[in-house]
Amino acid sequence: MTQLDSYTLAHFLLTSFALFTLGMIGFLIRRNLIIMFLCTELMFQGVVIALVAFSRFHHNVTGQTFVIFVLTVAAAEAALALALVVLLFRRKATLDASAWSSLKG
Amino acid sequence: MTLQPAILIPWLPALSAGLCGLCCVRKSWRRLAAPLTIGAIFASFLLAVLVSPAVKPFDPAEPDLAPHVVTLFSWIHVGDFRVDMAYFLDPLTLLMLMVVCGVGTLVAVYAAGYMAGDRGYARFFAGVSLFIFAMTTLVMADNLVLLYLGWEGVGLCSYLLIGFYYQKPSAVAAAKKAFIVNRIGDLGFALGIFLIYSTFHTVSLAEVLSLAHHVEEPTTAHLWIPFLLMLGAFGKSAQIPLYVWLPDAMEGPTPVSALIHAATMVTAGVYMIARLLPVFELSPYALPTVAIVGAVTALFAATIALCQYDLKRIYAYSTISQLGYMFLGVGVLSTVGGMFHLFTHAFFKALLFLTAGSVMHALAGQLDLRKISGLRTRMPITCLLMLFGCLALAGFPFTAGFFSKDLILADVLVRGLSLHQPLYTTLAVVGLVTAFLTAFYTFRLWFRVFLGPTRYELGDEHHAADGAHAAGHAADAHDIKIEHVHDAHEMPWLMNAPLVVLAVGALFAGLFCKSWLAGLVTQSSAAAAAAHSLHAHATLCGYDPHLAMEFISSAVAVLGIAAAAYFHWLNRPAADSVAARYRGLVSLLNHKYYVDEIYDALIVRPLRALGGLCFVLDRLIVEGLVALVGFLPRLLGLGLQPTQQGALQGYGLGMAAGIAILALLIALALGT
Amino acid sequence: MNNTPPVVWILYAGSVLGALALYLIAPKPGPKLARLGGLLGAVTLGGVWLALARLLPDLGPDRAPFVYYYVFSAIAIVSAVRVITHVKPVYSALWFVMVVLASAGLLLTLDAPFMALAMVIIYAGAILVTYVFVIMLAADTGDSLNPDQSPEYERLAREPFAAIAAGFLLLAVLLSIPFSQPLVPNPKTASETDAKIIQSVLVQRPAQQLLKRLALDNANQVDLLAKDPSLNPQQLTNIERLGLDLFRSHPLGLELAGIILTVSLVGAVVLARQRINPNSDPH
Repeated sequence: MTQLDSYTLAHFLLTSFALFTLGMIGFLIRRNLIIMFLCTELMFQGVVIALVAFSRFHHNVTGQTFVIFVLTVAAAEAALALALVVLLFRRKATLDASAWSSLKG
Repeated sequence: MTLQPAILIPWLPALSAGLCGLCCVRKSWRRLAAPLTIGAIFASFLLAVLVSPAVKPFDPAEPDLAPHVVTLFSWIHVGDFRVDMAYFLDPLTLLMLMVVCGVGTLVAVYAAGYMAGDRGYARFFAGVSLFIFAMTTLVMADNLVLLYLGWEGVGLCSYLLIGFYYQKPSAVAAAKKAFIVNRIGDLGFALGIFLIYSTFHTVSLAEVLSLAHHVEEPTTAHLWIPFLLMLGAFGKSAQIPLYVWLPDAMEGPTPVSALIHAATMVTAGVYMIARLLPVFELSPYALPTVAIVGAVTALFAATIALCQYDLKRIYAYSTISQLGYMFLGVGVLSTVGGMFHLFTHAFFKALLFLTAGSVMHALAGQLDLRKISGLRTRMPITCLLMLFGCLALAGFPFTAGFFSKDLILADVLVRGLSLHQPLYTTLAVVGLVTAFLTAFYTFRLWFRVFLGPTRYELGDEHHAADGAHAAGHAADAHDIKIEHVHDAHEMPWLMNAPLVVLAVGALFAGLFCKSWLAGLVTQSSAAAAAAHSLHAHATLCGYDPHLAMEFISSAVAVLGIAAAAYFHWLNRPAADSVAARYRGLVSLLNHKYYVDEIYDALIVRPLRALGGLCFVLDRLIVEGLVALVGFLPRLLGLGLQPTQQGALQGYGLGMAAGIAILALLIALALGT
Repeated sequence: MNNTPPVVWILYAGSVLGALALYLIAPKPGPKLARLGGLLGAVTLGGVWLALARLLPDLGPDRAPFVYYYVFSAIAIVSAVRVITHVKPVYSALWFVMVVLASAGLLLTLDAPFMALAMVIIYAGAILVTYVFVIMLAADTGDSLNPDQSPEYERLAREPFAAIAAGFLLLAVLLSIPFSQPLVPNPKTASETDAKIIQSVLVQRPAQQLLKRLALDNANQVDLLAKDPSLNPQQLTNIERLGLDLFRSHPLGLELAGIILTVSLVGAVVLARQRINPNSDPH
């Protein structure tokens, strides 16, 4: 395994940060509940790339192991969140997140 | 025989108070309250008798705590400051315990009949039990803090029982008055205890007494202590200037007046001075002050009693007057006389109040002398019992009051003669004048109520919904009362039996108990060594002053009774014509020298005005500031409200912006 | 900040331009400037790549595989932009598949083939299929060909300016960290060397067996291949390393992951079983 130098790492981090930020922006600007959750998956992608890049950089395989856990959480989140979205859609027949602003209490 | 059982003396009534409280829960349980209370108080009395052989004499000069103190548990222990729940027993304590528990038992038995059918039956007995607990704690206290606990406890019970008929505005006002006036005195007492602790570094009674006994050169603090304590005694024992609460306290049920406001609680001040006599001797002016205040109060209250028409109020002023005698006694170091008078007074004043209660009971709350006359045919037993009480109070020869009052006056006279101080001689004369007035007003009352033509008006308490009597007459427990609901009647024997015991005491306690009691008092911390040395070389016109005083006071008493007999039995119009001639004086006395009005104008109104000023200041300035402080966040919230619309992504945006700014700040901090 | 290297300033400029581009692309009312935004974004991205490649030191032939980085990274970023800007949920999901594939490529570049394949299988294969199912279940029936017919909440972004500004501020700050000074690997965190693991755990692994498994029975070839480090019997493959690390160092995490998956499975079933009449909102 060849040495990963700092500059290359910075490149991978650039991609990682870009994906994370885009996911965050998407979560904030999109009003479709499903797409909002899709954007959180996008943020996970950014995190995965950062984890693997650092794993390579530090010669520690635990970074990749953690990707497995990230995948686990992503899968669980997708299952539950989508079940909830289906429930919400059945109740109001819309996917608009602002339809639920009455939950502010 | 040990002192250990003495621990139970206060706690049995306390237990009874709790159980009486439980009795309030169910209506059918209420009647259990009286037997519980009577049993508990009587058990305490028996215990006091039981431990009496184990009680050793106490001498403050050579204190030895072990045989006197029984410790229940450690109450407060902070650094050097130590207060135990411990009881101190010496002969003086024993005497007080017997008075408190003995009279307490008799009054409780009487009250079992008197209060029958009242809605607050269990509440009343809970109050009485609690009072006995507090009073026994007071007299048995091993230290001043515990004594203060009992002191405040009896004040609380007094407040609760004066305000027993809490639906009656006058009763509520009287209860508040008693409580507030007592606060003034208690503040002095508390300050006195603080000063004692800061001076002697202990609050233990025995240690304080011993230390005070050995003080060679009193400092300023030493001089102040007795005056502060005195204030407490004046408040609790209704002396000038703090006596105003006691006449109003008669709003409470009559057994309460008899027990708390005649026989026991109001004598706490006398007890306290007798108990702390070495402390009072620290200042050369303390005891003379006590004597002067006592004598003046005695005369002052007796003159007021002359022109009152309310049965119980006359007795209330009489109580103040007799307490004045007691203060006069302890003030001239005649602690035996003071305690003796306390002892006999407990008998005859309780008897008088209870018979007055009987009259009130029979006449449905009627207490106005002008509306009662010639009850002897209707209530022969009560008539006789009250006569015994009146004789004792008037100091008729060979009754209890005669001996005790005589002892005090003789001791005053002896002190005046042997020290050649006109002050004490004057006080003795004041005492004699008071004795005459006492005999006069006492028999004025008795002749008016029981002799003369039979004529009376019933009171209105059987109509009033809030009176104890209405409920009492309605109760099916008391068949006799229902039959005689609209007429005067004799009391059942349940109520008369304790009166008979008291009457026996009122007649013979003086004759038979004097040496026993003198022995008890001289073996306690109240023993005044200085007083006895004076007796030897003092004569009044060549006679022994004690013997002379017996003749003089007998004559005074008989004179007073005779005068009362003339004006209020044989020739009642003469009394009216005399009253008409001195209308101004009568009016002055009838209005109690306008003291209440003066206090109102001098103290209450200015305080109220000050209170009003504070209220306005509080409203305008303090509350305005508070409102402003409260208003600012609301204004802020009004500005921020649009950001909180419940949109999930709005919150998310705030979070993201926050993270971004935080990251920027961290990066800047790390970069520079 | 006076010693900030020029590359960081370029990244700041790129962040600003990228933010502008994304703002133009974002769905919102008013004139359609998405194409202009796309162009601006592409130019910005290209400019940043070029600047990075020129400004960074020449690192020789070792960096040859990282050419792929630029390809995959560009695909990933462009696809991500499409995910968050496309007004059709189904298209968003498909663009997300593209992101996953591109990042799998990035992982391959980083010598993590197992994770790359796992990503493709789990994300693109499983999770995204679920998303597409739900989108089809829950989608408002609009004209799928005409974007203007889709519901308003698809067409109009919520407060795009503030969100994009906050996001790119964060991006700029984050980027400034790795590019302003060289990062140093922490030797203490390095995993055990492969040889050590083989000696301590995999002692039953003779080189011959490995070679037999690789069907390399020719002795000459063995000599030849022994010089190739990737076939060194003293070296583990990526999947072996990953498996050993997972089961030796994180057994508890593994169990917890299993529990989380089970619980979410049950939870999803319970949630989806609830019957709710449409428009029966009690409020």
